[in-house]
Amino acid sequence: MITEAMEEIFRRWEEQRQRRFWRMVQLFVARIFRGGGDSDSEGFDLGIGLVLTLLALPGGFVSLFLLDKYGTFLQWLRGTTVDPLLVVLPDEYFFIVLSMTVTGAVAVWRWDAIFPDRRDYMNLVPLPISTRTIFLANLVAVLFLVGLIAFDVNAASCILFPMVVGATQSKFLFFAKFAMVHAAGVLLASIFAFFAVFSVLGLLMAVLPPRAFKRLSASIRGIVVVYLVTLLCTTFAVPNALRLAKGTAPSWTFLMPSCWFLGLCQSLRGRAGPVLTELSGLALPAVAAVVGVALCAYVVGYQRHFVRIAEIADTTVTARTPRASRLGVLLDNLVLRTPFQRGCFRFVCKTLFRSEAHRLVLTAIGGLSLVLASQALMDAFQSVKSWRDAALSPDALSIPFILSFLMIVGLRLVFEIPVDLRSNWIFQLMLDQNGEECEPLARKVILILVLPWLLAITFSLYLYVQGWVMACLHVLLVAAWAVLLTNIVLIRFHKLPFTCTLPLFKQHSFVTLLSVCFGFLLYAVHTPEFESSALENPLRMIGLVPVAVVAWYIPHYLAKSTIDIERKLVFEESPTQTIQALRLNE
Amino acid sequence: MLEAVHLTKRYASLPAVQDLSFSLRPGQVLGCLGPNGSGKSTTVKMLTGLLQPTRGVVQFDGHNIQDNLAAYRKRLGYVPEEPNLYPYLTGWEYLELIGTLRGMSQRDLETKINSLLELFSLHPQRHASIGSYSKGMRQRVLLIAAIMDNPEVFIFDEPLSGLDVTSALIFKNLVQALGEQGKLVFYCSHVLEVVEKVCSDVLILRKGVVIAQDTVENIGHILGQSLENTFLHLVDDVDTLSVARDIVTVMKMTAA
Repeated sequence: MITEAMEEIFRRWEEQRQRRFWRMVQLFVARIFRGGGDSDSEGFDLGIGLVLTLLALPGGFVSLFLLDKYGTFLQWLRGTTVDPLLVVLPDEYFFIVLSMTVTGAVAVWRWDAIFPDRRDYMNLVPLPISTRTIFLANLVAVLFLVGLIAFDVNAASCILFPMVVGATQSKFLFFAKFAMVHAAGVLLASIFAFFAVFSVLGLLMAVLPPRAFKRLSASIRGIVVVYLVTLLCTTFAVPNALRLAKGTAPSWTFLMPSCWFLGLCQSLRGRAGPVLTELSGLALPAVAAVVGVALCAYVVGYQRHFVRIAEIADTTVTARTPRASRLGVLLDNLVLRTPFQRGCFRFVCKTLFRSEAHRLVLTAIGGLSLVLASQALMDAFQSVKSWRDAALSPDALSIPFILSFLMIVGLRLVFEIPVDLRSNWIFQLMLDQNGEECEPLARKVILILVLPWLLAITFSLYLYVQGWVMACLHVLLVAAWAVLLTNIVLIRFHKLPFTCTLPLFKQHSFVTLLSVCFGFLLYAVHTPEFESSALENPLRMIGLVPVAVVAWYIPHYLAKSTIDIERKLVFEESPTQTIQALRLNE
Repeated sequence: MLEAVHLTKRYASLPAVQDLSFSLRPGQVLGCLGPNGSGKSTTVKMLTGLLQPTRGVVQFDGHNIQDNLAAYRKRLGYVPEEPNLYPYLTGWEYLELIGTLRGMSQRDLETKINSLLELFSLHPQRHASIGSYSKGMRQRVLLIAAIMDNPEVFIFDEPLSGLDVTSALIFKNLVQALGEQGKLVFYCSHVLEVVEKVCSDVLILRKGVVIAQDTVENIGHILGQSLENTFLHLVDDVDTLSVARDIVTVMKMTAA
């Protein structure tokens, strides 16, 4: 009986799935995950399963790490007991921010794929389907996406976090209540974040002319990414600031929606003070407002952009012919000496600043660098009052190190993101595979993009605050360390940036990640600490020479020990087969 | 002279091209014909050095091209079958990139790019991104990229796809002019009339093997019919008329 009923349900579901409308919904959902946009790029495609797993991982891992804080056995060992509802505030805030950041980032990343584009227009409009049906199918796909992402990002934390927090409690009711409140908070935060991003971009899309929106879209998305990264970085400071706030809510909390949802959670648990109670009142109206605005913007944007795609010229023609600037000529004469370097340097720079995926990743790394640098700056002024003293503190000295480390490692990472692999043929055809010019090219790109502005600003500031000796010493150290780091990150780099598939989850990825964290500590934390003490007696700087020699020798040695076949220019890293036939008959 | 000597290429154990030999003299325009899967693209890739033959060699002026690919490619202009170009670069920027990689001087480069863009009617769109170009426009960019450094060897793989009538006519005349200038031209196409008009010699491939190789006139004379009929006679055992009738029948078919 039950089996028959189930079969009937499946049969009906299959029937529904085959209907025109639902086939279009499936099409839109698939393209949201698998790519979109007008370009034919096939580079950054991870697949639905992997994307969902990646999104779900952080919540699960963080919940498990909190066992240390809430675990009964560990509390017993320490001889302490904690009231879970009292100490949960920073962790709850973190989960809310995490869900907002991840969901917001997905909305930013997939924006081009969310909205139907010229390709959809060319494929769907000639079919006997009304544009209204296409609109509704896309809307259903977007709503499904929001639900799926919100559920996926928060699923692990909605189960594991309440289990971890409720470990000391014997009543199931505590777990159930806590889980429901937590789920409500993080799910609403996720929905808010998605529709907030949608509203901002949708409104601009509805208001701006198509060409202007196309030009501005990436910059606005970059700003949103920086805001999200900043929000993530507030998790360490905001809960404490909220706990200490008395009376009415401080004005900055109105700019941080994460505080509103924290207030909602704590109010539902009956643990909110006056500040959080006041903020909790903003959460639900804010969700309703962004959903409303997003839907209105979507309708207007659809009408203005999709329905009129055929009328909108896709070409942006400028009459200006690019002239070689003096700086470009100087670069060509002094730095980029071979045709390979000249051609590929321009290609790499244009890709970095024009390809959407590369720009977004670079913006996120830039945002993270700025946030960490500003935190270091604030720390530098915490213990000292004058500019002179602050400038020589390890925190202030670390700023150019933080910026250079993240930008160098970030650029190296971005080089791995492919761009339209099918177009590689031109490089395969024209470049000398035995030329060994890729590593010098990548080094020049990184150093030219990172060092000039960083050194100029650092030198000017230290010249003004500390005089030319300190300025020269500091800048020299930053430059030397940046060059050494660049050499290290480019060990065995034998490919033109962006021309190979993304090497996801290689066996040594975890080791690489650990090395980056360890390298950051060594480069951006311990070096400035040593420098701070050495600047009092500049002769002590000599202590860094052996470190520099070792850092220079390792890549040099590895380059020398590389066999000839490995030095060849690589274009496409095809996945290694687990089992290979020997084909002895050939 | 460009020579293919006993070229064989296998993918896994499947042969794509078997024991292919031919030579291309200066001034000769050699057309390469064959149905889908006959090994045309593999042959082209081996001639450009993009693929290494499993057996045999490609020689240019008596030297194996694999010995000094960079020098050979400096003298090669290639138009691939698919116009895969970086969509975020403008047409002008793409051509500048190619010219720079070819080692052309900046002054020559700008003059040639502008003149060729003008001649191929792309000058007004030169600063628009390639992503917004039509297939024909992309094809014209590829043609300019192939010819702008005045190479000695030209390999064209379906160069007319997407081109409008005027551009196609210009290109056909250009190929003949290149032959007259003493260049070596290898021309792969499905369009038999174009091969008949433009090429001096024809190579017909079937399942990776050469089944006919001669001048266009001789091939026609042997069977006493046009190149199209000769091609069908040699390559396909298909009655095209009956297949077309069958297609119409299937179109009218209903499940009931």
